[in-house]
Amino acid sequence: MTDPPLLEVADLTTSFETDAGRLVAVDGLDFTVERGETVCLVGESGSGKTVATESITRLIDEPPGSIEGTVRFRGRDLGELSEPELRSIRGAEIAHVFQNPQDAMNHCYTVGWQIAEAIRVHEDASRATARARAVDLLDRVGIANAAARVDDYPHEFSGGQKQRAMIAMALATEPALLIADEPTTALDVTVQARILRLLDDLKAEYGMGVLFITHDLGVVSEIADRIVVLYAGKAMERGDPVDIFERPAHPYTRRLLGCLPGVGSEHGGIPGSLPDPTDPPDGCRFAPRCDHAVEACSRGDQPAEIEVGPGHWVSCIHYHEGYDESVLSAEGALGAATDGESERGGSDD
Amino acid sequence: MTESEPLLSVRGLEKHYPVGGGLLSKPSGAVRAVDGISFDVGRGETLGLVGESGCGKSTAANSIVRLEEPTGGEVLFHGGGRGGRTRNDDGTHPNDVTRFGRKELKAFRREVGMIFQDPASSFDPRMSVGDSIAEPLSVHGLDDGRRRRAVVEDLLGRVGLAAADYGRYPHEFSGGQKQRLALARALVLNPELIVADEPVSALDMSIQADVLGLLDRVQSEFGLSLLFISHDMSVVREICDRVAVMYLGEIVEVGPTEAVFEAPKHPYTEALVSAIPTPDPRTTNRGIELRGSVPDPADPPDGCRFHTRCHAVVQPPDLDLDRATWRRLLEFRLAIEAGEIDAGAIEERARTAVDGDERVDGDERVDGGEQSGSTAEERLRATFDLPGTVADPAVEDDLAAAIEAVLDGEDGRAAERLRSTVRTPCERRHPESVDHGGGHESACIRHDPEVRAAREWPAER
Repeated sequence: MTDPPLLEVADLTTSFETDAGRLVAVDGLDFTVERGETVCLVGESGSGKTVATESITRLIDEPPGSIEGTVRFRGRDLGELSEPELRSIRGAEIAHVFQNPQDAMNHCYTVGWQIAEAIRVHEDASRATARARAVDLLDRVGIANAAARVDDYPHEFSGGQKQRAMIAMALATEPALLIADEPTTALDVTVQARILRLLDDLKAEYGMGVLFITHDLGVVSEIADRIVVLYAGKAMERGDPVDIFERPAHPYTRRLLGCLPGVGSEHGGIPGSLPDPTDPPDGCRFAPRCDHAVEACSRGDQPAEIEVGPGHWVSCIHYHEGYDESVLSAEGALGAATDGESERGGSDD
Repeated sequence: MTESEPLLSVRGLEKHYPVGGGLLSKPSGAVRAVDGISFDVGRGETLGLVGESGCGKSTAANSIVRLEEPTGGEVLFHGGGRGGRTRNDDGTHPNDVTRFGRKELKAFRREVGMIFQDPASSFDPRMSVGDSIAEPLSVHGLDDGRRRRAVVEDLLGRVGLAAADYGRYPHEFSGGQKQRLALARALVLNPELIVADEPVSALDMSIQADVLGLLDRVQSEFGLSLLFISHDMSVVREICDRVAVMYLGEIVEVGPTEAVFEAPKHPYTEALVSAIPTPDPRTTNRGIELRGSVPDPADPPDGCRFHTRCHAVVQPPDLDLDRATWRRLLEFRLAIEAGEIDAGAIEERARTAVDGDERVDGDERVDGGEQSGSTAEERLRATFDLPGTVADPAVEDDLAAAIEAVLDGEDGRAAERLRSTVRTPCERRHPESVDHGGGHESACIRHDPEVRAAREWPAER
């Protein structure tokens, strides 16, 4: 391949100085997004998904935050760009859809004006063209009667409609990369299906790359070309959807899949809770909650990633030399929840 | 009290909110948030109430426990020692919650626990969680503080927390733990019914599974009935015995969970089920696309409320049209009626576009001389995916006339002209509920025996 990947993230580490000490939210994350590809970051709340995406376009305040590692967009190192250069990339080439639409819109302007503004800032379009594009976009994200709604103010939109308007705004400039942080979590299944269809169309239309953050594994299996499973700021497993869903290698991924409604007979979550980010455990981050943890799991650093299949990487000691991975599959890969234990919520202080 | 009697029986429940009107003027209309719904919840049963946001699920729940005053219908509650008494002479029922006075209502609320979507906002941040959970006990007359504490500590254990958590404050708990606390509070009066409004929607998938598992265990332990409101179809499928599907204030389908999910009888249910993302990476399933959004409940569509968005809308037998064209014609008509077509913009775009196409022959032009006229018509047809000429001559006549009227800005005339041929039985008749056996019912005109017999809708061609 001659072209550099659309987005190349290498050893991304984002930390914050807090009163309780240094909090490492994202710890040495590697992944790439190619043109026309959807990469999903999956994990529980608090696993560092959002911070990872905000680090890409440097939306993290430094200090208290600090971003290390490299993020290359079309071969350019975003870490070396000045703030004005970054600003010209944000919105135009890399668009963000944030989780909370309430905070991301200006209440003093109509929704249509804000979308048209996004178009006019980044390209030379007449007011009328920009407005027509805004109507078209609102229609495509499923706002009924878009021609009239374009003149409404954000407070006249429902939460779900605002979320869709945000998506329309992000897509207005035909970005090369869309970073979408839980964009459909608050939406109804029917609207969610429409948004996913729209993202698919745009990928095919002009090769938009998508970095999609979600904890909904159903959605992931629908849209992902590749998946990164995050836990406590570390990548536990990377692979394509068939790898992750049919041959999950990491115990954490298996437990996560076991939480899918309708999978396995027992419902039970994952016992325990995420480790304290200011004081992560030694060794594998998941070891304290893992059924298969051996003593060596709690020593040293997160186990090095091992390629268990083409493009399928896993960070688990049982795949290292001298260990036997078959212990992992001993008791059913999916939904092998231990019932009594899993009922205890544990305390997270 | 008979065994077969349901614990909760909702009959024709209505909640209308007046719109318009002020201090001195009368309201001009009503938002029919819940418009005559009926269902039963049996003892120990879990009934799921599903639908898109805005369909009235939460209003229904709130009206049942009278957090909001219903404007019509009955809610018959047979729990708390209220046996299946016969109706009073005036036709009212002694167990009708909507007629309960203060004292009766208080007694009723002992029997019903509620859990809300957002666990963070349902606890007082300045009160220890133990005191919050114990509060209903003192409201209902348990004055002994030590016994209250003992009851709460026991419950905390049962929902997977520790007795020592009694004195802690809400901010010290995670979202999933707060939902456990909410469940403990709902259970504290030992109710017979729990009404849970989107109890796991705000939670992560792993925590969701955890809370659902707990709910399931607690339900069988306490022999509870559960009314479970959710927009998440996969969760409903997991935990509910029966499902009722709501659309725009009405129940369109109800039945045993497996029957509803495996063989949905109402097109709306079909679309909802088909839109569930499947955790199978080998299939991409985008489901049946629903056009538009839920219509305004202040002015619901006539006939079947779903017909404006329905993919299976019934085609009159006298039209010689393929199904796709028929659907587009109806969509075109509905768009005109909703005032969604901006004739000016279409003319404008037609005028500015490169004039390369030949004009369609035999087209009368009223606005004569205007070169771009036919192009605007073509554009309008293209916008709605309508063919250049519709096969059925009668329809084509009306369509051409309607398009002309739209371009002249006379939407009313256009819609009226189109209505003469492009019409569906779905908008004329409100569908009655039809029994498919095994307690599976749906309200769709396609199941109407008359419509079935007449085969009013030709199969896909």
